[in-house]
Amino acid sequence: MRNALALVVVIVLAGLMMAGVSQLPPPGSPDGAVHRHVAAHYIDGGKEAAGAPNLVTAVLLNYRALDTYGEVVVIFAALLAVLAVGLAGHSRGPQRGADELPVSPVVDLVIRLLAPFIALFALFMILEGHVLPGGGFQGGVVLGALMILLGLVLGPRRLRRMLPTPALFWTRSVALLAFALVAVAGLALAGWLFALPEQYWLRELIIVGLELAIGIGAAFALVGFYLSLEADRHR
Amino acid sequence: MSPNDVFDLLILVLLITCALAIARMKDLAAAVILFSVYSFALCLLWVHRGAPDVAMTEAAVGAGITAVLFFYTLARTGRREK
Repeated sequence: MRNALALVVVIVLAGLMMAGVSQLPPPGSPDGAVHRHVAAHYIDGGKEAAGAPNLVTAVLLNYRALDTYGEVVVIFAALLAVLAVGLAGHSRGPQRGADELPVSPVVDLVIRLLAPFIALFALFMILEGHVLPGGGFQGGVVLGALMILLGLVLGPRRLRRMLPTPALFWTRSVALLAFALVAVAGLALAGWLFALPEQYWLRELIIVGLELAIGIGAAFALVGFYLSLEADRHR
Repeated sequence: MSPNDVFDLLILVLLITCALAIARMKDLAAAVILFSVYSFALCLLWVHRGAPDVAMTEAAVGAGITAVLFFYTLARTGRREK
């Protein structure tokens, strides 16, 4: 009975979705509604207006900056929730738990060898995100993944010693603060939120700064999740 | 059917297979790994469809970080589905 009900629900939903998809214009079609509305405007003037030749970045950090700000707040709120339920206690367990297998020497060596290159790639993604695909968030996630890998190899205690509490505090909040600063500065100088100054080099500088802030914020939010889970495991 | 469409179709078949396997899997660690495979296939599809920005996010978050966080959660809760 329940299975039959589930089947009916799936068929109805799938039918609705198929009906919707069948009405979509072919991918990349210049006649599609999305390409006739504001897209042409973005392509014509996006680079100058938003200070970013990569139009995805232009839309994310300028035209839809408020959306992106909301996303930054969501990640920060998730981190706050994890910290608030009390998982943030310092790890009291052994450096490597007695129940754990030691990290394989192959994994250990490969992570140590690759670490500088991963770090360089993450920085490249963050700083070139306004020109090339990629950007602050992607680069930040790669950076966060690198720190988690190092935590697995070196042990979370050493990772924590490398990242003292004041540094964690500021790096976690830097994305929020930078976004708020850009938004308020635009309001004060030009009259609307996220307005950018006239000079192109200044626009580009602000975009790169925002990317950097988002990258650092994302990386340390992920490290925060990891350290909380790691500390919690030893209770 | 152009070679481009064949590539998309293969990826879509892989996605559906992974999704069904994840739903039926009792071993949650295997399900997490399959979820990474799913994300990576989706990442290939994004690249092929001309969305490298999304593909990078998918690879870093979907195939990378979530698997690690899921594994830590599994270590706390248990590996088998009850």
